[in-house]
Amino acid sequence: MTSTLAPARSRSAPPGHRPKAARWRGPLIAWLFLAPALLLFLYFKFIPMFVGLWKSLFKVQTFLGDEWVGWANYQTIITDDEFGAAIWHSIVLALGTTVGSLVLGLGFALLIEGPARYLWFVRTAAFLPVVTTMAAVAEVWRILYHPAPNGTLNTIIGWVGIDTQPWLGSEDTSLWSIMLMSIWRGTPYDMMIFLAGLVGVDRTLYEAAAVDGASTWRRLRHITLPALRPVFWILFTLAAIRGLRVFVEVYVLTNGGPNGSSEVLMTLIYKLGFQKNELGVASAGGIVLFLATLALTVVVQMLRRRQAR
Amino acid sequence: MRFDSALGLESRRGPLAVVGKVLIYGLMVAVFTGPLVGLLMSSFSKTLDPTAFTFWPDEFTLENFVQAQDKNVYLYLLNSFVVVGFGLLLQMLVSVFAAYSLARKKFRGMTFVMLLMLTTMMLPEEIIAIPLSLVLADMPLLHLNLIGTYAGMILPVGAWGFSILVMTEFMKEVPVELEEAARIDGAGELRIFATIILPLCRPALGVIGVFGFTMIWDQYLLPLIVAPESDMWTLPIALRSLRSDEEVGIGVLLAASLLALLPSIIAFLAFQRQFMRGLTSGAVKG
Amino acid sequence: MSRRLLGVAIMTTLAVGLTGCGSGGSGSDNTLEIWIRQAPDSDSAKTAKKLADAFTKASGVQTKVVALFDDFETKLNQQAAQKQLPDIVINDTAQLGNMQSQGWLREVDKAGLAGGDKLSELSWKAATGSDGKSYAAPFSAQAFALIVRKDWREKVKMEPPATWEDLSKLATAFTEQDPDGNGQKDTAGFVIPAGTKRGYASWYASSLIYANGGDFIKAAAPGKFAASMNDPKTVEAVQYLQDQFCKSKTVNPGAVSNDTTVTHEVFEKGQGGIYLVGPYVLARFVKSIGTDKIEVLPVPKGPSGGPGTLGEGENVYLMAGSQNQDAQKKFAEFAISPDGQRIGMNKDANGAIVRLPVNTQVDMAAERQDPRWKVFQDSYANAVYAPPVPNWAPIRQDSADAINTVWADCSADVKAAMEQANTKLTQELQSQKAS
Repeated sequence: MTSTLAPARSRSAPPGHRPKAARWRGPLIAWLFLAPALLLFLYFKFIPMFVGLWKSLFKVQTFLGDEWVGWANYQTIITDDEFGAAIWHSIVLALGTTVGSLVLGLGFALLIEGPARYLWFVRTAAFLPVVTTMAAVAEVWRILYHPAPNGTLNTIIGWVGIDTQPWLGSEDTSLWSIMLMSIWRGTPYDMMIFLAGLVGVDRTLYEAAAVDGASTWRRLRHITLPALRPVFWILFTLAAIRGLRVFVEVYVLTNGGPNGSSEVLMTLIYKLGFQKNELGVASAGGIVLFLATLALTVVVQMLRRRQAR
Repeated sequence: MRFDSALGLESRRGPLAVVGKVLIYGLMVAVFTGPLVGLLMSSFSKTLDPTAFTFWPDEFTLENFVQAQDKNVYLYLLNSFVVVGFGLLLQMLVSVFAAYSLARKKFRGMTFVMLLMLTTMMLPEEIIAIPLSLVLADMPLLHLNLIGTYAGMILPVGAWGFSILVMTEFMKEVPVELEEAARIDGAGELRIFATIILPLCRPALGVIGVFGFTMIWDQYLLPLIVAPESDMWTLPIALRSLRSDEEVGIGVLLAASLLALLPSIIAFLAFQRQFMRGLTSGAVKG
Repeated sequence: MSRRLLGVAIMTTLAVGLTGCGSGGSGSDNTLEIWIRQAPDSDSAKTAKKLADAFTKASGVQTKVVALFDDFETKLNQQAAQKQLPDIVINDTAQLGNMQSQGWLREVDKAGLAGGDKLSELSWKAATGSDGKSYAAPFSAQAFALIVRKDWREKVKMEPPATWEDLSKLATAFTEQDPDGNGQKDTAGFVIPAGTKRGYASWYASSLIYANGGDFIKAAAPGKFAASMNDPKTVEAVQYLQDQFCKSKTVNPGAVSNDTTVTHEVFEKGQGGIYLVGPYVLARFVKSIGTDKIEVLPVPKGPSGGPGTLGEGENVYLMAGSQNQDAQKKFAEFAISPDGQRIGMNKDANGAIVRLPVNTQVDMAAERQDPRWKVFQDSYANAVYAPPVPNWAPIRQDSADAINTVWADCSADVKAAMEQANTKLTQELQSQKAS
């Protein structure tokens, strides 16, 4: 009985009262649902971040007390020769990994699209690299990359007649080797997102194309790829957020060597902070990195808006 | 003629097409699982070459896993499970609550909140490590010390921007009519959330579950900061420590690496159906 | 209903899990907290525990041992930020300048430390800051020497090397004459951890640089230093090793990106025959390779100077801000006493936290049966420690980067690269206000 009473009462409420209550109630509920997340972010992300921002203006001496230096830390990091090189390496690595994973991911997604049972198996198997622990995976690849002729990867490329490569051991190949591993781990992820996008493609369009006698290529070009545009943007956004922050891969595989040829922003900042004890400079580097990431994300979003228009 | 896929590969039959398909798919499986199989085999292998994988264990042995016990690897594994268990539960709860608000409500400051979520994903953790340790040691206003507690490892992973954003995208897909119908029936906010929205988003829970598991399982700096001693360590810290332990060989390291990999893989395989359905149920349209 | 119950159950377990497991911050005030830079659960960590227990027995002071290897500095920084440094830290001698400049260390009254007069002068030098004051009690020392595959050397019929030229010849023979007799040319002369992580390349090269009378930096005045990477003797040593990498190709493949963990394995698996390293791995190699197959030889004197080799060690640091100053001192006295040193040496077994005793009253031969330790001890007489600059780590890192470059890039000109490194070190010293 009560269940029929309650709505009746609310329906008969004074007309002036109800909109006012609802105007307050809606947002209040919204904020209540958001509260746990915001509270956790506040304590464990934003407060530490502002402390970090504050510390970037000091010569940090954890025990003796900090010394105000103003913008000097920023000056130090930005004028550091290695910083410039690290930015360049980060960009190359991020771009290479993103493009490589996107292209391969799209290719594989197209290859394994479909409801067949064995495709399900291939998908599952191919997705495994994504859910694996980075630290463990990097360990595995370090062994694969052994640069002697009898190293695992060198043996494999030997079958197809490619010369022995130094992989991580040489300035010319170290960054590319890291990129190869990142692509290995990134491709299945992109592949899955593309697969998800492919589900949304209108099948009737394919049939119409078949009636028109369009080639597979034209079908891809004019139906499939345009339908996947939102997926590209999602992947680009994620890549922009993650790209510049690569750390574990590089740390485990080369730690920036040989001769700084694979030094990226995060390994440089990490070295400054924890090996050289320049916590203030490291904080400044981190803030610069954060701003760069933010800018990059904003650019990607703006491009996306323009595209959508 | 039916077109189930863009390339229409499935409709191609005949011996050449079959051979081609077997080759392509075989190669894919080999490339993506090969390194993991190599790890599996090597960790059971007695004589280990630090420079090459054995894809078949010569002299099968459990020695590496026995030695791992001396290095307390199983304790670290247990710690990892505790953290990931509670952490994932909390993270998923927080994510669905926040996503409900972001996807189903309109309020002032929503764009700002979305932006905040994005920025949390851009913060390099290594930078906030020391400030975070100060916050954990003396939480502002609450004055709690979380150093040396599991809560210190769990609460910071409780909110994850990625998970919230993915969940939000899913919840946007649930038709408004369902919700309105329930509202007219007088259902309360929590009731709508729990009986209408959540059940429809079950595949999405698989997605944020699998990714959240991997994310928490991979945490390195956080447990390092929180654990006062090695007895509270999780596996990723132990992995790094084993790597630089001059006394142990690479066998133990590989065994521990395998132990670190297996749970995420098992979790993925267990939720695989939900996960795949979640990914392909049309969340990625906007 | 049942769903709601489930929800309540979940929340309760969560709440219990979050609060119930808390064990609070670090130990109570009366317990002496000792940190040692060793991997947890390692044999070395166990030895440290033994030492602490023996100390408790002798003094009645309760102790807690924390062993940590990676990120030791990160954790120390964290503790410092919380103003809760451990009472005792057992750490590299090379960390002295860094910790002192951070204000983490208490000065040690050398004369007032019971038994301090029984320690070798060289070891005290490594406990002295750039201002001439002592900031630690010396605890352990080690010098570097060559661990060589004896069976290989006998197979290629060569004598132990007495000069750098002999050493080159031995390495070439190991590379080319198939010393492991498997019919394949898959062995190398040297195994070298020549990566840049933690500055390994520089760490490895330093023994040869010192053996040739060179150095990275030299003391100019009290607290003042000058870079000397461009010293011809230093250049000659780095050049010698570049020749091994590039001309005679006697170094294990991939060395330029390896750290010690990998290099140990490479040596153990018989992929190379000459490893310039400290004594701490001797027990491991004896066990894994076979005692009759390896020998320890001193680093030969270089063509332009020497003899010398890298000296390292651990100090017992008394940390600032401790509530237990008296117990700190007692522990330091116990650690340097013959008893404490013997426990740390751990006989011939793995896990020696005292590699070579610093206390001259301890007879090493009586403790360790393996005569190979003697070679390390004899080498220690010529050992050269890193100088007490405010922060040694960046200098090691910068020099490692430069050295790694000329080894990885065979077309690089060593002299020019060392000149460049010298400039860099000069700048680093300036920024540390130590030039």
